[in-house]
Amino acid sequence: MTRRIDVAGLVIALILLAVAGLIWLDMSSLELSSVYGMGPKAAPKIVALGLGILAIGNAIMALRGDLPARESLDWKPIVLIIGGMAALIALIKFGGGFILATTVLFVATSAAFGRRALLADIAIGVVISIVIYILFSKLLTLSLPVGPLERLI
Amino acid sequence: MIHTRKALWRGAIAVAAVAGFVTSAAAQMELKIMAPAAPGGGWDQTARSMQQALTQSGLAKSAQVTNVPGAGGSVGIAQFVNNGKGDGNQLMVMGYVMVGALLTNKSPVTLDQTTPIARLTAEYEALVVPADSPIKNAKDLAAAVKADPAKVTWAGGSAGGVDHIAAALFAKEAGADPTKINYIPFSGGGEALAAILGGKVTVGISGYGEFESQIKAGKLRLIGITSATKLPGIEGASLKDQGINLEIANWRAVVAPPGITADQKKALTEVVDKMAKSKEWTELLKAKGWDDSYLSGDAFTKYLADDQVRTKDVLMSVGLVKS
Amino acid sequence: MEAFVSLAHGLTIAIEPMNLLFALIGVLLGTAVGVLPGIGPALTVALLLPITFKLDPGGSIIMFAGIYYGGMYGGSTTAILINTPGESASMATALEGNKMAKAGRGGPALATSAIGSFVAGTIATLGLAFLAPYLVDLAVKFGPEDYFALMCVAFVTVSATFGDSPVRGLTSLFIGLALGLVGIDILTGQSRLAYGVPELFDGIEVTTLAVGLFAVGEALYVASRRHIHEEKLEPVRGSLWMTKEDWKRSWKPWLRGTALGFPIGALPAGGAEIPTFLSYSAEKRLSKHPEEFGHGAIEGVAGPEAANNASAAGTLVPLLTLGLPTSATAAMMLAGFQQYGLNPGPLLFAERPDLVWGLIASLFIANTMLLVLNLPLVGLWVRLLAIPQPWLYAGILVFATMGTIAANPSPVELMMLAGFGILGFLMRRFDYPIAPVVVGLILGPIAESQLRRALSISLGDPMVLLQSPFSATLLTIALIALILPFALKGMGRFKAVED
Repeated sequence: MTRRIDVAGLVIALILLAVAGLIWLDMSSLELSSVYGMGPKAAPKIVALGLGILAIGNAIMALRGDLPARESLDWKPIVLIIGGMAALIALIKFGGGFILATTVLFVATSAAFGRRALLADIAIGVVISIVIYILFSKLLTLSLPVGPLERLI
Repeated sequence: MIHTRKALWRGAIAVAAVAGFVTSAAAQMELKIMAPAAPGGGWDQTARSMQQALTQSGLAKSAQVTNVPGAGGSVGIAQFVNNGKGDGNQLMVMGYVMVGALLTNKSPVTLDQTTPIARLTAEYEALVVPADSPIKNAKDLAAAVKADPAKVTWAGGSAGGVDHIAAALFAKEAGADPTKINYIPFSGGGEALAAILGGKVTVGISGYGEFESQIKAGKLRLIGITSATKLPGIEGASLKDQGINLEIANWRAVVAPPGITADQKKALTEVVDKMAKSKEWTELLKAKGWDDSYLSGDAFTKYLADDQVRTKDVLMSVGLVKS
Repeated sequence: MEAFVSLAHGLTIAIEPMNLLFALIGVLLGTAVGVLPGIGPALTVALLLPITFKLDPGGSIIMFAGIYYGGMYGGSTTAILINTPGESASMATALEGNKMAKAGRGGPALATSAIGSFVAGTIATLGLAFLAPYLVDLAVKFGPEDYFALMCVAFVTVSATFGDSPVRGLTSLFIGLALGLVGIDILTGQSRLAYGVPELFDGIEVTTLAVGLFAVGEALYVASRRHIHEEKLEPVRGSLWMTKEDWKRSWKPWLRGTALGFPIGALPAGGAEIPTFLSYSAEKRLSKHPEEFGHGAIEGVAGPEAANNASAAGTLVPLLTLGLPTSATAAMMLAGFQQYGLNPGPLLFAERPDLVWGLIASLFIANTMLLVLNLPLVGLWVRLLAIPQPWLYAGILVFATMGTIAANPSPVELMMLAGFGILGFLMRRFDYPIAPVVVGLILGPIAESQLRRALSISLGDPMVLLQSPFSATLLTIALIALILPFALKGMGRFKAVED
């Protein structure tokens, strides 16, 4: 087995250490304590210490090159899916409505998985989200985000 | 079901037209009521009851309930104040719990930014002990708290909530240091009730409704209620009648967004006023076991302002709020 | 004997055509919403309350019972098929169930889950009918220190989900524990790690985390590997139904899951998640095929599913006998009772026996209905996996976000979902186990608050943990479970180096 330093593993260890530090910092800013028994600081201390120790453990593994092998990575689909979710969030935040937002996510994801028939996917996405919308907002009286398309229904 | 709802509307509008007491402006109102809590809780049930009463009595053309749960209403009020500004068709259900939650969460949005409309219901706090407890009445409890506040454990709802405030005020009235009470917050009424029934804590404090069936079954003893005098239908004296000067109610109310015109406020107040007098609302109150404590207009505005000041004082004296 | 007569009478009420219809509507609605993550039976009952106001009390409560059980079925179906646990209690099911589905064994997985749920539901409902009064006396004696000890047992068993590296498993668990710290500290009302974001005050929603890590993370991972590793899903490989071997491997986990789920569900703060974890790790330890765990072991579906449904019936024990709502759904059912002026509690059995026994009987009916409805559907459900991959994953993501949008339409919540998706992707890529994160988020806050309650009551004296007989027993079990594997390993492989 080849033993070489794994940089990604070291980054993970550093992130764990940073999270531990963050928890410790936040814990020390707590003003109130319980009058009796254990206060609100004990649990964050335990978790921060645990994460600190685990950061060391992960770093040792990385230095010894013990991490499992990784395959090459295709970034494009990831960007597409995350972009789809970001678009969904933006559309919901700025009043685009449920149907539009959901359709965008649907199309983006299916494109990430290699579909190129954009129009067909848009049609499917719209139909699915309209059905869900009607089912929930009309039948169950649950309020889903309303945008221009929803007002027509 | 879509059909039944439409039919209901038609029926409601027909009834309203025949009765002829609804102003045309109000009948056109399409209200949005926000419950700043998840479906099922007290605020949500209040919002949905309003929806039912408003549409069935024809006071509003429609009333849509939206739920924005989170942090004792802090999430909901932030959204309400920011998105609803100047909208005369929106209402938000809120209550005493929100007053305390906004203070303990250090919320940037306050109730002063909303337009108070009306207080709807109130529920009094009940103090209970297990049936086999040596504590027989509020005086016994006061003596125990005074002797050693650490030894008297209280089970109730969230820290800084109405239960906690009432417990602290009780300790204060009993002559003990309210910052030294041994108050144990539980999440959800069921867990607190189990701890009381199991004899894990000395005394339980919560809305009377939470304990009612246990008291009637003789598993818990009611030792005091935080109303001014004895309540009809409840076997048990008020704290005031037992010489402990403590009166507190967990009320629920509706408010409108900031920046609405005086006319819009008047229209909303009128609709809610009429709803509170409607047959549908009184029936709902009865079914849910809520006490009517209707108060609107300037009287409610003043009440809300006073209660905020009072709550802040209490929370500071208990050490739950620092500044 | 009296209970038998009452139950028989209850059955005659429940099989009245109108009530059967209500039960049917209930199970259909429950299954429909149960498949959506974030929308559970509680929300459904809440939304239906105003509509059922006009119905008679018996009918609508029977409908609620149907929704309750139906929701459980729906949640596990999506967990198995698309790795999206509809509720946190279905997470353990997703672990092995989805692996089975991907290996073309979705049919047996769905079947063992349906039959296991039926078996567990039936036994637990019998338990509810006959043991409720005795069980509830014990349940209320279970204090904060005992819950803490129960959490200790659960923590020890989490290692079953760790995979092969203890360091990686613990890292995942501690990430979950760290996430569990976020939000308002229930005992002092201060917020921790929320940085003034109101959506974080109530803590991180378990379903948001689970759906983000499992469903979104999985979609990202599969998409990123498409160019080298085309995932081929075969809906059915081998038998669509359970083979004789499957039955042989399922029946004991069903019974053990029931034995764990019902009593823990009956505890006022027991919940449904803990028994499913306990059952999962018990099955892994007892299984003759421990190497199959993590690759689709049928015991890992049968046990947790049974535990999940048994705990649902367990929850009704404190609700009906004491009026204690110990889950969100139970709280809604309580509200349902109250709108008819009925107060569940010590007097309900005496005052309205027709209603209580009608409800218990309708639980049997709902359970049977669900089995009859679901088994024939297994073939259909499994075909869902034949949907072309782009649409399947696009649909999964729509489903996952839809649940969040409907339950809590806040951009912050959706951002968390996406963020946990990325976390899930990274953890998969670097081979960290996912389940311990969710377990940490669930167990951490309970363990902390119960320990602090116990210490507050005892004024800081830790001996309280040993003085309660429940707690002392549970802590001993936890200790043995912790030490035993090491001791056995030490004896077996004296010189083996732990790495």
